[in-house]
Amino acid sequence: MIRIDRRLFEHFDMVFALLVVLVCTMAFFNLYSASGGPTGLSSHPYIKQGYFFLMGFAVILFVISFDYHELHSWNYPFYVATIFLLVLAYFLGDSAGGAQRWINLGFFKLQPSEPAKLMLVITLASYYSRKEVVDGYSIKQLFIPVALTALPFLLILLQPDLGTALMLGIIFVSMTVFVKLKISTYTIMGSLGFGIAVFAWEQLLKPYQKQRIQTFLNPEKDPMGHGYQILQSKIAVGSGGQFGKGYLEGTQGHLHFLPERHTDFAFSVWAEEWGVAGSVVFLGTYFLMLLWGLYVAMYAKDRFGVLLAFGVVTLIFWQAVINLFMIMGFLPVVGIPLPLVSYGGSSLLTTLLGLGILMNVRMRRFQASMAKE
Amino acid sequence: MSLKPLFKEIGKIAERDEGALDLLKKRILAAAAVVLFFFAILTLRLWSLQITNGEEYAKRAYGNRVRVRQVAPPRGHVLDRFGREIVTNRPTFNAVLIQEDSYDLDDVLKRLAPVLDMDVSELWEKIREASGNPRYLPVRLKEDIDWNTLAYLENHNHEFPGIRTEVQPVRMYHYDNLAANVIGYLGSISKKELKKADRDIYSGGDIIGKKGIEKLRESDLRGEKGRSYSEVNAKGFEQKLLKSIEPLPGREIRLTLDVDLQQIAESYMEAGEKSGAVVALEVNTGRVLAAVSTPSIQIKDFIGGISVKKWKALLDNPKHPLINKVVQATYPPGSTYKMVTALAGLATGVIDENTILYCPGHYSFGNRIYRCWKHSGHGQVNLQKAIEESCDVYFYQVGLRAGVDSLAEFARKLGLGKKTGIEMEYEKNGLVPTKEWKRKNRKTKWQEGETLSVAIGQGFNLTSPLQICLMTATIANGGKVYRPQLVEQVIDPEGKIVENFSPEVVSEVKGLERYFKSIRKGMEGVVQGKHGTARRGRIKGLTIAGKTGTAQVVKIAQYRHLREENIPYKYRDHAWFTCYAPAENPEIAVTVLVEHGLHGGSAAGPVARAVLNQYFSGRLNNIDPGDEVSMKVIMSSGETVQ
Repeated sequence: MIRIDRRLFEHFDMVFALLVVLVCTMAFFNLYSASGGPTGLSSHPYIKQGYFFLMGFAVILFVISFDYHELHSWNYPFYVATIFLLVLAYFLGDSAGGAQRWINLGFFKLQPSEPAKLMLVITLASYYSRKEVVDGYSIKQLFIPVALTALPFLLILLQPDLGTALMLGIIFVSMTVFVKLKISTYTIMGSLGFGIAVFAWEQLLKPYQKQRIQTFLNPEKDPMGHGYQILQSKIAVGSGGQFGKGYLEGTQGHLHFLPERHTDFAFSVWAEEWGVAGSVVFLGTYFLMLLWGLYVAMYAKDRFGVLLAFGVVTLIFWQAVINLFMIMGFLPVVGIPLPLVSYGGSSLLTTLLGLGILMNVRMRRFQASMAKE
Repeated sequence: MSLKPLFKEIGKIAERDEGALDLLKKRILAAAAVVLFFFAILTLRLWSLQITNGEEYAKRAYGNRVRVRQVAPPRGHVLDRFGREIVTNRPTFNAVLIQEDSYDLDDVLKRLAPVLDMDVSELWEKIREASGNPRYLPVRLKEDIDWNTLAYLENHNHEFPGIRTEVQPVRMYHYDNLAANVIGYLGSISKKELKKADRDIYSGGDIIGKKGIEKLRESDLRGEKGRSYSEVNAKGFEQKLLKSIEPLPGREIRLTLDVDLQQIAESYMEAGEKSGAVVALEVNTGRVLAAVSTPSIQIKDFIGGISVKKWKALLDNPKHPLINKVVQATYPPGSTYKMVTALAGLATGVIDENTILYCPGHYSFGNRIYRCWKHSGHGQVNLQKAIEESCDVYFYQVGLRAGVDSLAEFARKLGLGKKTGIEMEYEKNGLVPTKEWKRKNRKTKWQEGETLSVAIGQGFNLTSPLQICLMTATIANGGKVYRPQLVEQVIDPEGKIVENFSPEVVSEVKGLERYFKSIRKGMEGVVQGKHGTARRGRIKGLTIAGKTGTAQVVKIAQYRHLREENIPYKYRDHAWFTCYAPAENPEIAVTVLVEHGLHGGSAAGPVARAVLNQYFSGRLNNIDPGDEVSMKVIMSSGETVQ
């Protein structure tokens, strides 16, 4: 089963791999600057992230070695394992900023909500490819996928990590809309979603979460408090100008005005140091990589492949858009990383795993399915 | 990648999944459109932030990382006419909080409080008071900290993020309160002043001249702030100094005041607890040699801001220490006005210096009797004797003959009834009454009887001590009304003289020289004459000419019969004495007003005498008996003269 066909190498998509490597290289050099350059933080996050990149590439090699249809059959064991990890994180996890998010594995702290996103993609792809409906899903048919999403969603919301929880919601909505719904289903889901949102604002959101949203609406009002991060990020990005301040020369980042500069706000550092020119080059490469992911979905062999590829792109795309919107002052600070760019092992490994799945789907676009449908 | 297998493959897929997969794949195109759409939005946003508003954000990034610290310039010194330092500076150190650099303030203040020997609550109060100011302005937590505290804070500054020490030059007064009314004091710039001020020059927390020369000469004295630009990180720690501009000290102001004269005048006024004013002018230039107003403010109370309690006490003090009585208070001129009446009489020709009028001790006009201060009367009186002995009846008649408007005309010619133009704030005009004035302001006709009161300086007339001194100087110099000036020189830090004193004649009375001569002769008699009202003010070897005066505060009959000591203080008459010397070749004019001092000769005379004695001390060969003694002698003399 794991015998690697010579043809698979021929079908390996070098363009896509090159795009991934380009993005990863830029991200790694940016992280070196964001963590302070030669005189930076003593813990040197970029070195750790370097190991994660290497681990990630190993993961990719592992993932492309077997047929992606294996995921179809292993779907539910994965699902249960992830849920188990989330529960574990909730009860045993290390807390940071009042949230139980991490499971300490010694060499690294696993954030199970990260693989949970990918797991949801696989689960939904698997479910929707199994239950194929030509003229759109009715509300009843959506019961199982909603339940499958709701379980990790609630567990992550309890940590509490609103940003990641919403991310799961977005993945669910994107993939579900993608597989087509009945008009009535749209209406019901829409009004239900609105109702939940209102209820959540009134009842469920913690004060700091409300604060974030309110601050976002008027960041200049409280420039030293909660609006500080958004404002400093805008200043960092804006002050980059045409060609930026030069690599390792960004003052906002290096003088620590920029908060969370190697995690959520890593791209602000890039924008400050490379200006609009460098930022467009970076985003161009990044979005080309995503488009290429859709291209992979387009030419996937079967429904599961299409849904899987589409889901992975969705996962990376929405995180990127939300993170970049936050950095550029379009959204409140929600704690969503920029995949591949923000520091963080769980996010990086998950993303590379996802990209590995895309490569896998791409490689096996001509092969007869080995998994039994 | 050849396309052939691809199509083949698609064909196979189509066979298997029929329309459903195709439909799904069509949707991928829509998804690609969404991705491109967001890429476009992000690119536009980048453009907006980095290109359209790039400069603005670059400025803010610069403002973030570059701290501009202002270095207060040493304020210009104030010297007397001989270059003696009256006001200079000494450095003090303040503990301040830079809010934008601070974090964990609660903890920092807790540790800081014992170092500053203050309560945490006091520190919070200071921060609360400053909450209206922009955050980047330092909040002064404690002023004038001692050397040990300074050394501790400097050595442990990493333990107190956001806490810093700043050096601040503070005024040093070498003669305590000397000339406090002239020099004035400093204070923190108020929000109102800040609103009007040039923001390139002033910012919140700056010290600015609030009164007197400190205020009027603020632009000379303040100097230019220095600035240091350093790079700071987000925690406020300075990383490196980028550049610095040294402060430029303020200009030095040499006043026309003579410290010795000022000092002696102040000490005489204060020793007798006299409330009032002393002015000494150079007769031929208008230089102000001394300008005293008592009681004085305690200038030390104003260093670093006066307390509310002390300020209230100043406001409530019945002797009004906040008023500069040299120019801000006006009094009826009393008999010092008789010179005006005399000049008007002579100039209009209604009398000449030999005209003899009879004084029986009273004068009947209308159905009233106007008394002379000497109830037994002066008998036959000419101008000389009238001035010397201050005969009221003589001047009643001269006044009547000349008429009130004529008196007013010559009063104005001698500089009364209008601002002298001295560099002091809130100078009063005084009042020279005319018929016109009364019609306009009192809505009634002028009563001829009122002319009699005006003629001896007791009517509606109001004059400031400075005006009377200026009048005296004008009589002494033969008609030139100078603008009294306080500033001798303004010298910039390089030693260049920016401004130099030059006498300024405001107006000149021409063609009346011989009348002035007659008046001067009478004034000389006041001091040097056998019956002069100020004959006790003589100084051996010096000829003094002067005039005493008493300004009635009330005409209420109920107090008239009382012995003077029994009249309540606030109803007692004001005492004037104005003089110049030497009579032969006048140099200096001195005017003294003692509020509620009763008699010019006894209350005001000794002060003027001490000033003259000091002024001529180098030139007089006689050894004057102790001033204190002579003062007491005169004060205790029972003679009551007007």
